[in-house]
Amino acid sequence: MNKKLVILTLILALCSIAMAQTNKLSGEFWSRWTMQQSRNAATGDDEITKNYLALERGYLGLETAFSEDTKARFTIDLFSTDAVGDGAGLKLKYAYVDFANRIPIADMTLSAGLQKVYFGSIYDWDYTLIGKAPSDEYKLANSADYGLSLNGYLPSGMGSYALGIYNGEGYKKTGAALKDNTDFAYLANLRLTPISGLSLGGSFMANTTERENLLTDNSLNPKYEQQMLADALVRYVMGPMDVMAEYLVKDVKYSDSFSASDYTASGIMIFPTLNLKNLTGYDMQILGRYDMWDESDRSDSSKHKLNAITGGVNYNFMHDDSGKAKMNLQLNVTNKSYLEDDSAPAYADGAKDQLQVMAQLKWRFSNTLN
Amino acid sequence: MKKLTFALLCLSLMLPLFGQTITCSGSTTVLPIAQATAEAFMDKYPQINISVRGGGSGVGIAALQNGTVHIANSSRKIKSKELSAAKASGIDPRGYAVANDGIAMVLHPSNKVKALTTAQIKDIYTGKVKNWQQLGGDKIPIVIISRDVASGTFEVFNEKALGGAKVDPSAQMLASNNAVVSTVADTPGGIAYAGLGYVNDEVKVVTVNGIMPSIKTVKDGSYPLSRKLYMYTDGKASGNVAAYIGFIQGPEGQKIVEQNGFIRID
Repeated sequence: MNKKLVILTLILALCSIAMAQTNKLSGEFWSRWTMQQSRNAATGDDEITKNYLALERGYLGLETAFSEDTKARFTIDLFSTDAVGDGAGLKLKYAYVDFANRIPIADMTLSAGLQKVYFGSIYDWDYTLIGKAPSDEYKLANSADYGLSLNGYLPSGMGSYALGIYNGEGYKKTGAALKDNTDFAYLANLRLTPISGLSLGGSFMANTTERENLLTDNSLNPKYEQQMLADALVRYVMGPMDVMAEYLVKDVKYSDSFSASDYTASGIMIFPTLNLKNLTGYDMQILGRYDMWDESDRSDSSKHKLNAITGGVNYNFMHDDSGKAKMNLQLNVTNKSYLEDDSAPAYADGAKDQLQVMAQLKWRFSNTLN
Repeated sequence: MKKLTFALLCLSLMLPLFGQTITCSGSTTVLPIAQATAEAFMDKYPQINISVRGGGSGVGIAALQNGTVHIANSSRKIKSKELSAAKASGIDPRGYAVANDGIAMVLHPSNKVKALTTAQIKDIYTGKVKNWQQLGGDKIPIVIISRDVASGTFEVFNEKALGGAKVDPSAQMLASNNAVVSTVADTPGGIAYAGLGYVNDEVKVVTVNGIMPSIKTVKDGSYPLSRKLYMYTDGKASGNVAAYIGFIQGPEGQKIVEQNGFIRID
């Protein structure tokens, strides 16, 4: 699969380069040390369960401008994995074309292909923290999917919006893995900036996972879920302070044929950042994050409620002409505590109290080829 | 004690007037205006230092958004995407027009063609017309010379002359107005576009849709490839930054604008 994907990617890249007015090659990689301490259910002792160095993830992208109004982008997602013998995996993350000015609405773009899914704060998330955005962390929505979307900006910088229709299964599934889900996912996202520094917004997504049908052994498909996802977000930036708060809710309904009960999961995140550049002369930030994610309404073994607190510090260096850092050195300490005790079924699935320390060097580049 | 407190308060309020450095970056078209006016302003107010850099309009606006400059120089209006991103980051870009400019179409002096329409310019730059003979000139292949796509001049030219069409891949994409003008001066079949301030006697300026770029036609907007040049600040300009922009917009600054080949805003 990977070989075919690499060949397909190379063909697409060569075609794009040949046809394009400009090509921009960009990349982003992060190398990380992770150390995790959690409690051994058998002995009751805290012990180090993870301690390793890895190149966790990388993106390699090519942006091609066929004209000022038609631009394409594709990005390869590289990641460390044991799933294949080589120790690294490769997936196509984005492969879409933006058509601007084709619709008689100012600043609206039609995007077609494997593209970003603007649910929650995932594309507001610039990874000043090592951890993921809540919608990604708690697996509410996929960050990319196959689909069609309309994206635009409101006049006078008042905000942005996105409307999309997608497969609903995410960029990691294609072909046979899509099973026979004939339901599309629908997304609406609105972000308003009524005054400089204040962003208010929310998104809504309706999705299903797998089709309600009989599996090959004639049993009913227990994975079918009808999901209604929503988030509300507030962000305020004033001087060196940046505070983001997000509320997310996931409402899941199963078919009446299944024994699993419907449930609602919800959570909040509060994420303050203090920029120390003016104070220290160095491009540094200190930050904190509080998460609460509650799936205690579930009736199955995944039932759990999480509280997590993260503290971190960033040092950003090697700035480009616009003042954006090409390298970030990050240190995060996260304490996760679950409501369930060691005997809960979810404990075995990883929902166990833990202390995690991560140090990461992230670097990025972007060069126009022609 | 009260006098000492009052004196310290006064001193602290006056401190911003001493030793402040104003940083600006962005458009290479606006660069000569920014440099020349900065020198004149610093001569007048030696306690204020002004640092001027190029990089292109997009780079300048991104730098303003990242809080690394006081002024972003731009040869185009800020885009909706840039404005939205800046406001979300707590930056409130305010644009100040500092000059008018016309994008002049320039040919080699030996070229017989004296007039072009925007449709013909589009045909040339998209590769549909490849020889000057098709436009009433000598039988010489057309050599397309353009600014690089990161420049604000390219973006304005692309929007106003090409309607967003793709530039022919054979075009030479050069990084400065000076480079395109000197390349056309050395290339008999060459065609390029550049800010009026960069045009010299080594190249020939042609009319566009029958109108020659001039002070009058750029100011009244009748010249099809006219534009304003801007300086953007975070919020309403204040303190020394307001003083510097006010200086550029005032009589002394506008005289420098003219001396650099651009057109006054008043």
